[in-house]
Amino acid sequence: MSMAALRRLLLLAYTGVVFAFIFAPIVSTIVFSFNADRFPSLPWGGFSLQWYEAIFADATIQRGLINSLIVAGVTCVIATFLGFSAAYVDYRYRFLGKSVYLALAALPPTVPVVILGVALLTFEGRVGLSGTLPGIIVGHVVLSTPFAMALVRMRLADLDPDIERAAWNLGASPWATMFGVIVPFCAPAILAAIFLTAAVSFDEFMIAWFVSGVNETLPVRVLAMLQGQVSPRINAIGAIVFGVSITLIVLAQMLLGRMSGRAARKKG
Amino acid sequence: MSEPLPTPDTGTAPFTATSRRATAARFAMFWGAPPALWQAAFFLVPLGFLVAMTFWSVKSFRLTPDATLANWTFILNAGFFRNAYVYTFWLSALTAVIASVAAFPAAYTLAYKVSPATRRFMIFMLVVPFFTSYPVRIYSTQIFFSPQGIINTVLAPLGLGPLQVLNTPTGTVVGYLVLTLPLVVLLQTFALANVPRTLIEAAHNLGCGRFRTIGTVIIPSARIGLIVAGTFAFVLAFGDYVAPTYLGGSRPPTLSILIADQVKSGNNWPRASVVAVMMIVTLMVVMLVMIGLAYGRRKERP
Amino acid sequence: MNEFDGPITDFRALLHPMNRRRLLQGASVLAGAAALGVTATAPEPAYAQDKVLNLLSWPGHADPAVVKPFEDKYGVKVVAKEYVGGEPMLALMNQSPPGSFDVVLADAEYIHMLKEGGFIDKMNPADYPLADYWPEFQKFEPHWVGEDLYSVLIRFGYLGIAYRTDVLSEADVKSYKALWDPKIKGKLGFFDWYLPTMGCLSLYDGNKPPFDISDAAFGKLKETLFSLKPQTAGFYSMADQFSMLTNGTAAAIPGVGDWVVLLLQKSGVPVSATVPDEGGIQWTESMSIVSSSTKKDLAKAFIQYMSSPEGQVRSSIMPAYWASIPNKKGWELLNKDHQAEAKALRHTFDARNVMDEYKDGKIYIRKTPVQQSIEQWNDVWSEFKSM
Repeated sequence: MSMAALRRLLLLAYTGVVFAFIFAPIVSTIVFSFNADRFPSLPWGGFSLQWYEAIFADATIQRGLINSLIVAGVTCVIATFLGFSAAYVDYRYRFLGKSVYLALAALPPTVPVVILGVALLTFEGRVGLSGTLPGIIVGHVVLSTPFAMALVRMRLADLDPDIERAAWNLGASPWATMFGVIVPFCAPAILAAIFLTAAVSFDEFMIAWFVSGVNETLPVRVLAMLQGQVSPRINAIGAIVFGVSITLIVLAQMLLGRMSGRAARKKG
Repeated sequence: MSEPLPTPDTGTAPFTATSRRATAARFAMFWGAPPALWQAAFFLVPLGFLVAMTFWSVKSFRLTPDATLANWTFILNAGFFRNAYVYTFWLSALTAVIASVAAFPAAYTLAYKVSPATRRFMIFMLVVPFFTSYPVRIYSTQIFFSPQGIINTVLAPLGLGPLQVLNTPTGTVVGYLVLTLPLVVLLQTFALANVPRTLIEAAHNLGCGRFRTIGTVIIPSARIGLIVAGTFAFVLAFGDYVAPTYLGGSRPPTLSILIADQVKSGNNWPRASVVAVMMIVTLMVVMLVMIGLAYGRRKERP
Repeated sequence: MNEFDGPITDFRALLHPMNRRRLLQGASVLAGAAALGVTATAPEPAYAQDKVLNLLSWPGHADPAVVKPFEDKYGVKVVAKEYVGGEPMLALMNQSPPGSFDVVLADAEYIHMLKEGGFIDKMNPADYPLADYWPEFQKFEPHWVGEDLYSVLIRFGYLGIAYRTDVLSEADVKSYKALWDPKIKGKLGFFDWYLPTMGCLSLYDGNKPPFDISDAAFGKLKETLFSLKPQTAGFYSMADQFSMLTNGTAAAIPGVGDWVVLLLQKSGVPVSATVPDEGGIQWTESMSIVSSSTKKDLAKAFIQYMSSPEGQVRSSIMPAYWASIPNKKGWELLNKDHQAEAKALRHTFDARNVMDEYKDGKIYIRKTPVQQSIEQWNDVWSEFKSM
């Protein structure tokens, strides 16, 4: 075997190890969700669906799921709108303080969620939002807007600014240009942003942990179970959340793929 | 923050200039204002509250607005805070280094040694863990590292181990890596993929060996991305609550555990806020230093 | 300047409907503008109103295995907000909007605080089967203020040492001295709550009762606690104790008892729990009706169910953690339907049972600190954790 081939093989093997480390917990979550034993230990105690049955019978978990869906559903719409707006402003305008503006829009994910949670709770406690679903949504929008902004901004980078300029010069109002040109062009990115922000919200546990009060979301429920009682129900929920999240990401990925496919065709 | 002053860099339109200007201003305001307002109201203001809260006091579980420095002096003088601060900083920095080093060969492989289709698929795979309930992943990691867990079962016939990982700083770092490694590989892959191929080929043509090419061409060219990746690892680890609790056994507690403890025992929000403010300040300093490191030296050799 | 100024003496004042409504209006105007008509006021989920009994409790009490018969009978769902530790429970009661909870399950030592905070209602003893309870628990002192009843005992247990039987022997754990045993160096786990652990160590120091101690004794208790540092494995939430004893990371945990080990024994883990000679702590869980509840009849019915033989049996072998029950008729039913469990729980009438242990006088009721403040004990605990 040539040196180059050997080197490539070693690198591929190493990459395999890294991916194994990353995916081992996910695989084990799914495997142990079907384990009959209550307390996780080796060897495996036999196949069982009882933990799935248990979570489907549990009103607290159902309620958490409904709350999570409501929160993610509202969050993704608001966050995508705000992210789109910020990305468009970055694309279109130059103004004094723009870097501050962009920093404000982009910074939240760099602040630890524990701190965002404490800060939001102290603030929301003062204004009566804490313990409500809007209180959670507010925090999730803050956290997920930058992701939507990044996706839309990447898409806008492919749009020739002269097109909008030309439309304006031909007498089209900015509104008509926006909804006739910009929004249709960004549609795949907007859809991808909706899925991505929904996924961020659906999986967020720390802000929701502090803010949710009695209106627990599903990840908060999971964290409570993690503290409260060992049970493969945690694995079963994890496996289901994995399924939901991966569906959302695949959808987002397909849309982005179509988008880059089209861009490639356009350039080619 | 003052409202953005719109100056569309479009050609000036000659007709109906005033009404058009008004429309343009309204248009700019419609898109520009909501993100700024939202983030100001629900990000900046709460953080401001947090800072204000550090001067409040708590009397028998009740929070009272105040102007005391007692929380600051208590926390900054508390041995447990200083221990936790040093410990958290050190473990996070260690995580950033380990993650960066461990990720590099994988990112290198993804960037240069696989087909674009494979790369796209692998990148997609790296995104998946972010949306797969991190606490559940940490919980599942326990089974690998417990005394009779999978790892020790594999090691025992080899005459190795048993490894004591749970309830040790090693456990915490393992958890931090579960959290940060996918992101670091992802960011490094992007950084490496953006290094111009021509640059690498030129180095090879000039007779530069592989490792020298990596050291003198690839790493310097991808420096910004590599530093950003490491910084993100630090930031994520520094603020994480789950890994040090469920893998580290809270021994010793990290800063985020300290925050949770102050809140849950005795409702001491002001002290928790002091810890939080110290964390934010630390993170800001670290990020500024790293940005300086990433962009600063570049100017020296244009 | 506005009504937010001035000292805040009560969290509930912050949640006054006026403030809330005003803010929600503001938020929805903002969000409406932002989201093109999508308001931030999420629709009220259909379950939110009548069909739900909201319970604030330790983990696991709303498990279908416990509450299913009640849910079926009344056509409601029991939904719990779970907490770990008495102080988080007080904080949740303080911070949650009125009407959030219908029933609160609390440990006896917090009942007086809840009563003084105006959070719970006076109850009518005749509504509950107290006459069926063991005599010791018919007029359980912490639940009464004078002649008024504020809480009904649902379950209890003793705290001493939980240990792995493959590491420590029964003779080893006759005294709390075992905690310093070299065999468990680095393998001593802790339940991350100051009260039970420090209570047991206070007994080891010879303080009887363990929670009403002088500042000098408190100083000594602190030394005793700190000397355990080299033995420490880690600090666990409730659930982690089960995992860590199972996987052997922890070989012993002080301040816990049957509630941790019974379930593990059933799964074949070699663990046991004991009350050492120095004595043990009794924990209790009891239910009260929340004053701000709008469903007090349902709340009463729920507590009646939980104190009935059927509710008692289901509660004693609740999937989250098992416990002893005070209702003698519950014992009878347990012995009839679940003999193995009754034996494991030492709830049989023909052998030495948990009530005999109670009569030995080794068991002290858990209390919040008397001569020091909760904060002082907590700060010692925080310091210990980070040593």
